[in-house]
Amino acid sequence: MKTVAFAVVMVLLLLYVWERVDIVRVGYQVERLKSKKVALQRESDELRVKVSALTAPERIAHAAADKLGMMPPGQGQIVLVRVETTLPTNAGPAMPELRLAKNEVGGRMP
Amino acid sequence: MTANDPHRLRRVVVACVLMLGFVGVLCRLFTLQVLQAAELTARADRQHRKTVTVEGSRGGIYDRQGKVLAINMDVPSVFGVPASLENPSGVARDLARVLHVKADEIERKLRQERSFVWIARKLDPEQGRSLEGLSLEGIGTVMEGRRFYPKGPLLAHVLGFSGMDGQGLEGIERRYDSFLRGEKQLVVLQRDALGRTVFPKGLNEQAPSPGRSVVLTIDEVIQYIAEKELDEAVAATRAKGGVAVVMEPRTGAVLALAISPKFDPNAVRAVSPDRWRNRALTDAYEPGSTMKVFIAAAALEEKVMDPGTLIHGENGQMTVAGTVIHDHEKSGWITFSQVIQKSSNIGAAKTAMALGEERVHRYIRAFGFGEKSDIDLPGEAAGLVKETKHWGRRSLASMAIGQEIGVTALQLVTAVSAVANGGWLMKPYVVSEVHDGKGQAVVQNGPQVRRRPISVETAKTLTGILEGVVTNGTGGKAAVPGYRVAGKTGTAQKIDPQTGAYSPTLFVGSFTGFVPAEDPRLAIVVIIDEPHAEAWGGVVAAPVFRRIAEQALPYLGVSSRAPVKLAMAMGPEEAP
Repeated sequence: MKTVAFAVVMVLLLLYVWERVDIVRVGYQVERLKSKKVALQRESDELRVKVSALTAPERIAHAAADKLGMMPPGQGQIVLVRVETTLPTNAGPAMPELRLAKNEVGGRMP
Repeated sequence: MTANDPHRLRRVVVACVLMLGFVGVLCRLFTLQVLQAAELTARADRQHRKTVTVEGSRGGIYDRQGKVLAINMDVPSVFGVPASLENPSGVARDLARVLHVKADEIERKLRQERSFVWIARKLDPEQGRSLEGLSLEGIGTVMEGRRFYPKGPLLAHVLGFSGMDGQGLEGIERRYDSFLRGEKQLVVLQRDALGRTVFPKGLNEQAPSPGRSVVLTIDEVIQYIAEKELDEAVAATRAKGGVAVVMEPRTGAVLALAISPKFDPNAVRAVSPDRWRNRALTDAYEPGSTMKVFIAAAALEEKVMDPGTLIHGENGQMTVAGTVIHDHEKSGWITFSQVIQKSSNIGAAKTAMALGEERVHRYIRAFGFGEKSDIDLPGEAAGLVKETKHWGRRSLASMAIGQEIGVTALQLVTAVSAVANGGWLMKPYVVSEVHDGKGQAVVQNGPQVRRRPISVETAKTLTGILEGVVTNGTGGKAAVPGYRVAGKTGTAQKIDPQTGAYSPTLFVGSFTGFVPAEDPRLAIVVIIDEPHAEAWGGVVAAPVFRRIAEQALPYLGVSSRAPVKLAMAMGPEEAP
């Protein structure tokens, strides 16, 4: 009986020690993954900055003109097509919703 | 063991020594565990725990289409520990190659008698990678957030910039700093014997929230068009500078705000602080003939004039309060419409006199001159509109031709927008939304009416007269093929700072108007400051208006007057 009790106590102690060691191991793992996430986030930010710089209108205009020989369309080269439709009766208002500026309550309103 | 044991004494001595040793250990244990317990526990905590302040990254700034205009990125900063350097000059030479800084300068820093020195802060990521390859002893790097403006000088005067420690210093960066700044949070880290972080105190601790994102009403493409055309005009006329503002007249939303000369917010120290100023808001100028638009509005609203009312042009010369007012074109009887279209100073002065001081002052104020528009940008000036009690005998005539009054470009475009939209003076704004990391709106700005200075009928009549300025008057160069344009030219003499009188050589040429006249989508003001050679607003500023409008209108999908029409049946679910 005593031997069994001793064995149970020893197993519990070993389990406790194993748990503590494992927590530390997982802690290191979490830190490694967090560092990796930070590095990937930095890479993502760097790429966003690059994409944004490469899509700047000035750069695109120069590339289109200098590399591709493109030029702005001249008069009559753009034809806008107006599509005439029969709108449903519940079509939204043409004007956006207006609010009165807070500091102008005393203003002249119709 | 017996009394005659020859080793007894030796054993007693050994036992006593051991006892003394144990007593010593016990005493030391008592000292450490009881007497110095608090102090030593604190010291151990300091060694195993590290408390750091973590700040969420600064929020981004985007245009109305969601394109990135300002963004934060973690970049390396380099520091040195002079005490641990054996060969400072060699290290300085290696660093100089990567940092593109003089080696002497770095060496001077590394020879200082300090435990820590900054060598260079907030480098480019490429430089950081090159530094990692060097692995120099006594040199380290830490990551810090750096603000990037990927579009360079585009919209610099609106965006502003932030300082080395991430605080907003100018423009949107300053005005919306409290929203853009990330949350600050203290985090306790557990460290092992080698100083490595094991994990934060609580695994459930949330990272600090990043700053909120600001979405502007500005459109990157229209901004580029406005800046390009303004810069070209300023260069062509060898002018001191220029301003162009594009507004959506129905809402007061600013679509573009261009200032020339520009600066790059990524390198603000490369230019003088004077270049950072957003002149569209901060600088008031005498508008000249563009002010006739608002005198005409007052006269029509008060029914003092109608488009056909005849006014005598005094053959180009009229004396008011002992001073002479000239017209550049001699005329006899002309209609009120022609007064505006030909930009007659004498006709405008007579109109103002017919209105009287009180009404002229009331309408000028009603159109928003002499007061801040409360736009969401810092540094706005109110301009200058004197109270009538301070007016001189010539003031009424001067006001009519845009003298003795100071207005900003923003006030001018907001006022002309009121004519364009049927009489509503709107509050101008540049930020449409501020939202958090989850896309939840924190602030939402929309169109706000300040007041209604004129009726819709007056606005319509005035629009017709202003169309005549472009078709038959001084603003012919503002005509946009395929669209009806309404606007007004302005040429104002500047005060010579040396003499305090109007300069015969320094002028401001301007044009303000809107397009298409029948359903205005764009209100634009263009101001060219001190152009050389020709200074007429109709010559230097009107063409800029045309070039901005003729590119921006098709971009916005605004149909010209004679579009191709396709009849098409559409179900309710397909309706736009």
